Amino acid sequence: MTSSGHAPDFVVVGSGAGGATAALVLAEAGHDVVVLEEGPAVRDEDRGLGTHDAFMRLFRDRCTQVAVGRSVIPMLQGRCVGGTTVVNGAIVWRLPEDVYDRCFEHPLARELLPLREILARMDRIERDLSVAPAPDRLLGGNGTLMKVGAEKLGWRGHAIRRNVLDCQGSGRCLEACPTRRKQSLEQTYLPRAERLGARVMPDHEVRTIETSAGRAVAVTGRRADGSPFRFGVRRGVVVAAGAVHSPLLLRRSGLGPREHVGEHFHCHPGTAVAGIYRDPVRIWEGATQSYEVDEFRHRGFKMEVVGLPAELAGVRLPGVGDGFQRAMRDFPHMAVWGVQVRSDAEGTVRERALGDRAAITYTPSQRDMALFREGVRRLCELHFAAGAERVYPGVHGGPEELRSPDELGRLDDLTLDPRDWSLMSSHLFGTCRMGATDAGEKGGVIGFDGAVHGVRGVWVLDASFFPATLGVNPQHSIMALSMLLSERIV
Amino acid sequence: MGLAPAAQRRIAVVLADVLGEPLDVALAVAAFLDGYLRRVPFEAALGLRVVVWAITWLPLLFIGVPLPVDALSPERRLAYVRRWSESRVYLLREGFYLLKAISLMGWGAQPVVRARLGLGPMAAVRT
Repeated sequence: MTSSGHAPDFVVVGSGAGGATAALVLAEAGHDVVVLEEGPAVRDEDRGLGTHDAFMRLFRDRCTQVAVGRSVIPMLQGRCVGGTTVVNGAIVWRLPEDVYDRCFEHPLARELLPLREILARMDRIERDLSVAPAPDRLLGGNGTLMKVGAEKLGWRGHAIRRNVLDCQGSGRCLEACPTRRKQSLEQTYLPRAERLGARVMPDHEVRTIETSAGRAVAVTGRRADGSPFRFGVRRGVVVAAGAVHSPLLLRRSGLGPREHVGEHFHCHPGTAVAGIYRDPVRIWEGATQSYEVDEFRHRGFKMEVVGLPAELAGVRLPGVGDGFQRAMRDFPHMAVWGVQVRSDAEGTVRERALGDRAAITYTPSQRDMALFREGVRRLCELHFAAGAERVYPGVHGGPEELRSPDELGRLDDLTLDPRDWSLMSSHLFGTCRMGATDAGEKGGVIGFDGAVHGVRGVWVLDASFFPATLGVNPQHSIMALSMLLSERIV
Repeated sequence: MGLAPAAQRRIAVVLADVLGEPLDVALAVAAFLDGYLRRVPFEAALGLRVVVWAITWLPLLFIGVPLPVDALSPERRLAYVRRWSESRVYLLREGFYLLKAISLMGWGAQPVVRARLGLGPMAAVRT
C-alpha cells in the first residue's frame, strides 16, 4: 500500500463536471486538493480517433455499461480525466425555473439553494467556458434541416448553447474534440485548479472511504496497474464519481442511509430517427449537436440533432446484405435526430456479486414509452416538414420506413414495450439524492448542503444528487450546484 | 476471450451477408471482432461470444438445417440471418443487433468503406 506523503485538505473522487468544479473552487479557496480519477488522462493522441477507440479508452466499461430491466439499455458515461464532459455534445442548458421547482420543492432546499444563487454560478461557468449558441456556420446540414422543419411547423427551437471556443465543426465531440476547441473540464477547470496547486491523478480508482469517530479520514483504492494506494485527508472527501459509482463507493464504505444509497436511479433515455433527403446532408460536418427543438419539453421530451458517425447510424437501419448497402449508400443524405425523454421510472444501482461492474436495473415506465411514441412521431413529422423523402422510425414491429407525412398515423400503434425500442441514455441521476433525514420515503442520502447524512467530512457533488429528473441536459446544472455547494464547504 | 481463426472465418461469412460486403472486408471485420472481444470486460465479451457461437451453430434451430452457418447456401444463409434480425424473441433479435453494432465499428473503420461513403480518414485531422 502506497501512502501519500502528507494528507491534503480534500480528496475529490472523480474529475467530471461535479468533481472538476469542486476541485477548482476548493483550490481557489487556498486548500490543498488531490483529484483522484479512475480513468486515464486524455492525451492529444487520444482525440478524434473514431468511435471504437474513443469507446475503448474514454468510456466507462469500454462503452459496454448497460441497465437491465425489461430490456437492455446502454448507459454511456465518460471514464477519463474530465469525465463525461470530454465525450459529450458540449450542450449547456441553464436550469429552467420549472425544473428547479420540480427538483427543489422541499422548503429547506429552496432556502439553501435559491435559484438566483444557482443562476449566478451558471453565469460564471458560461463566462469561464465560452458558452454561446452555435452560429449558423456550425449548424451543418443536420442542424439546418431541423431548424427548417421547426420553423415550418411553428415549433420552438434554437441553436444549442455550447461550451466551445472557435469550434471547427469537425463533428467529433463524442471522440474527445480533436482540435481541443470544446471547453471540457480537462481543458479548463482542471488545469486551472492545478495551477493553484491541486494535483490531478489519473488511473486512481477509489474503493473505500475510511472514517474514524464518524469523520472521513482517508480514501483507499487501487491504481490502473493494480497497486493499492491510500490518501489521508484533513478536511474531507468530495465524492463525484457519477450516478453509478458514487453510490457504490458509499455503500462499500458503509456510509449514508442504506435505504436510499443506490436507489432512485433516474435517467433520460433517448432514441433516434433518421431521415433521408434529396440533397446531401453530410452529417459529419458542423457541430455534433447544433440545434434542438424544445417545443415539447413541458410534456416530457426534447429533440436534438445527433451527429452520428456512419457506424452508429447504421445499426438500426433496416435490411441486411443488399438492403443494408442500399440504406448506407444514403448516408451522405441522412439527417439523424434524437428524442430524449424525462423518464419518471426509478431504478437501482448495486455492485455485482462477481466482478467490478455495476448492476443497474431500470425499466422505462408506460408513461415514458408513450412519450417515446409521441416523440418519434413528432420527429418523423419534423423530418417530413424539413423535406425528407423517407424516414426510418427504427421501432421493431412498426413500419420500417415512411415515405410521406400521410403515413404518420401508422406510428400511433407503435408498441409501448421497451424491448421493441432501441434506447440509450447518457444522463444518469438520483442515486445519492438530496433530501432531509426525517423525510422517510422522500428522504435522501445527502442534505441540501451536499453532506452525506450520518458522517462528517463527506460530500456528494455530482449528478447523483438531483432529487428529480431534469428533463434538460445536466452538465451545467451539475457544475453550478457543485460550485455553489463547494463554496460553502470552504 | 477472442475468436480463433476458424471462428473468424465462419462469422465472416455471416458478416458478409449482413453487411453486403465482399469476404475480404468481412474477414477484416471478423478480425476486429476478435480484438474487441479481447479488450472489453469479461461479461460483455461473454455475451457477444455467445451470440457469435449461436449464430454460427444454430441453423438447425432456426431453419431446420443441421449445418454450421458457413456451410449453408447463400440463399439459406440470408434467410437464416433475417430470422435472427426479425425474431420476435427479444434476446435473439438483440443478440443480432449487438453483433451488428459491434461489427459496424470495424466496418466503418475500413478505408474502402469510408471511401465509398465519401468519408475522410477515421482519425480526424487536428488543427
